[in-house]
Amino acid sequence: MKENKTAPYLFMLPALIIYLSVIIFPVFYSLWISFQSGTGIGSMEFVGLKNYAQLIHDEVFWMSFRHTIIWIVLTVLVTTTVSLMLAVLMNQKFRGRTFFRAFFYFPSVISAIAVAIIWRWIYNPQIGFINQFAKMLGLDFTQTWISTPNTALIALFIAALWQAIGQPMILFLAGLGGISPDVLEAASIDGANGVQTFFHITIPLMKDTFIMVISTLLIAAMKVYDIVKGLTDGGPNNATQVLASYMYNQVFQYNNVGYGTAIAIIMVLMMLLVIIPYMSFTAKKE
Amino acid sequence: MKGKSVKKFLSAVLVGTMTASLLAGCGGSSGSDGGSDDSGSSKSGKEASDSGVDLSGVEGIADIGYEGDPIELSFWYLQTRQEGTDVLTEVFNKANPNINVTVSYYDTDGIKDACKTAAQSGSMPSMWFNWGGALGQYYVDNGVTYDLTAYGEENGWGDLYTSGAMNLVTLGGQVSGIPTSYNVIGVYYRTDLFEQYNLEVPTTIEEFESVCAALKENGITPMDAAGLNGWHVMRWIEQFIEYEAGADTHDQLQSLSTSWDCDAVKKGLERYEKYCEEGYFPDGFITANPDDTYMAFGMGTAAMDIQGQWYDSVLQNNEVTLDNVSWFPFPNETGRMSAFVEMNQFNKDLSDEELEAAIAYTNFLFSNEAAKIYPTYYNLPLPRTDADPVDPAVNPNVQDMLDTSSENGTFTITDQAFPTEVADVLFNNQDAIANGETTPADAAAAIQKAIESYQSK
Repeated sequence: MKENKTAPYLFMLPALIIYLSVIIFPVFYSLWISFQSGTGIGSMEFVGLKNYAQLIHDEVFWMSFRHTIIWIVLTVLVTTTVSLMLAVLMNQKFRGRTFFRAFFYFPSVISAIAVAIIWRWIYNPQIGFINQFAKMLGLDFTQTWISTPNTALIALFIAALWQAIGQPMILFLAGLGGISPDVLEAASIDGANGVQTFFHITIPLMKDTFIMVISTLLIAAMKVYDIVKGLTDGGPNNATQVLASYMYNQVFQYNNVGYGTAIAIIMVLMMLLVIIPYMSFTAKKE
Repeated sequence: MKGKSVKKFLSAVLVGTMTASLLAGCGGSSGSDGGSDDSGSSKSGKEASDSGVDLSGVEGIADIGYEGDPIELSFWYLQTRQEGTDVLTEVFNKANPNINVTVSYYDTDGIKDACKTAAQSGSMPSMWFNWGGALGQYYVDNGVTYDLTAYGEENGWGDLYTSGAMNLVTLGGQVSGIPTSYNVIGVYYRTDLFEQYNLEVPTTIEEFESVCAALKENGITPMDAAGLNGWHVMRWIEQFIEYEAGADTHDQLQSLSTSWDCDAVKKGLERYEKYCEEGYFPDGFITANPDDTYMAFGMGTAAMDIQGQWYDSVLQNNEVTLDNVSWFPFPNETGRMSAFVEMNQFNKDLSDEELEAAIAYTNFLFSNEAAKIYPTYYNLPLPRTDADPVDPAVNPNVQDMLDTSSENGTFTITDQAFPTEVADVLFNNQDAIANGETTPADAAAAIQKAIESYQSK
């Protein structure tokens, strides 16, 4: 039977058109806008690399950049660790396991803005849960964590963590479920204790799960926005400003479309730094 | 078998809880993100119309007699005024079968972002709610709004709307919208707390400080403030600057025609710094939501809040009685109050028929008859020359505030005088001063630098 060489391309064409029009074209168009100056309405002026040069001297940009990096590091270290610990715990057989699995997964189905509202009340210095709880215990303690520059970002991260652990926990649970009991039994027979089995057998066997979890968390961390907007709006005094929120402010609040898009391009480049190694790793594996 | 039943029951409870939480997260319309100029609402229009509201007053004026081709109009408005708007829009659409107005609702800061985004993508609605000053000016500068100058002249708007409101909607030399409210800001205070601690309404800044000190000493937060979006704290600061600068210099500062890096601004910010250090503002106020200040004020843990005349309605909508509430103009020596206007702007691409219909809808929505049905959902009185006076039994402070502002004069509220990016620098410096990260002198210099950067663009 004669092979039809054009058929696969024809089948791919609709998807390719959609991909080109909603992903590739906007990316290159954004790159073009980042070389322009204007409000986004009417004519734009070509300014070359001026927007990028201006970014170098923009304190708030570097502050946002630093906060985004801190957020990424915290996400990779803390969210991965906490969700893995929870997954290991939820993988044990105990009464009420299904309830607790759902309990810890539950926050991940709430929208980030709703999470921000919930935590705004938890952190409220006057009538918030934390202060009321402290008062109930007779403690003379008033937290103002999201209003204090040194603690605001961490307080924000804790709120985000509450929501973020559910999804990776489920992935880790699936990974743990995929490990053959025979391997674990063999390790036990060879004299490995629980900790040794976990670090030398379980974790290496979950390599694929780790790659998936870490890469998705990294991408989510780079574009963190909703929780920042909802809880602190980047404040106090930019103490929680991240790249996505600063980009949004520049484009949609200050009407500096070219400048804001330059920030977006920087974000895309940062993401490519993660996505390219990830893609090449998975491609090699295949 | 018993275990399985328990599991099934627990699963059902969990699913129910999750669904309820999701619905709660998605469906809230209480305006928790909205600005301070709004009152909370939660009922849908359908419920309201079913609840026996007498609509006969508006039904008689809703029909504008249009019989041409069908017209579709979109309107972007504030979420916290949804209850009355839904019902009134339904009445308007029913009376005019060839016109269909669809309203989308946003919170106070959300509508600013939504309009900017739509303007940049060329997808503005037929009409939208906006504020005067720099916020409304953006749409004029970029040719997005309908220039209503000629239309207004032909239809006698000079006699129809109050001159103060018309002045504030005239931007860049053109009438850029229909004024829907005119607002002035004063200090609301708890009369019961003042009585309890033998305090008099302050008429000088020194007396104001004595009042604050006495309240603080008695465990009451003197000045309620919430800085999440900056503008609530700004209302206090602009009064300090008015006090230090006087009327003329403050007007020059607001019009950006004199440097903000000056003694008056520095001293105004020093006063703010001093009040932060004295603990006159609530703990953690710089990231508190301005929508929530009514709670501390209503509970009597805060004694003064800086709000506009709409606060009578906000308090009542949140079940705070006005028996123990009154107001005074901030003792800034000039007596002037900050003022701003709200308006409906119209898409420049509207056809003549669409514009007529959109204006008719706006005039219907902001008519005396409509405001009579939902008095707490309007910043009354309407800025019309034929506006019904406000019922002092319902909103006791409104008329007095407006009369005082007419007598003493007003200045443009700072976030309408400033472009957004300059206002944000002011807001950031408010935070920085409160947290001891910057000095008033450096803050004044930073604001001026932002102004120069904006002006050089």
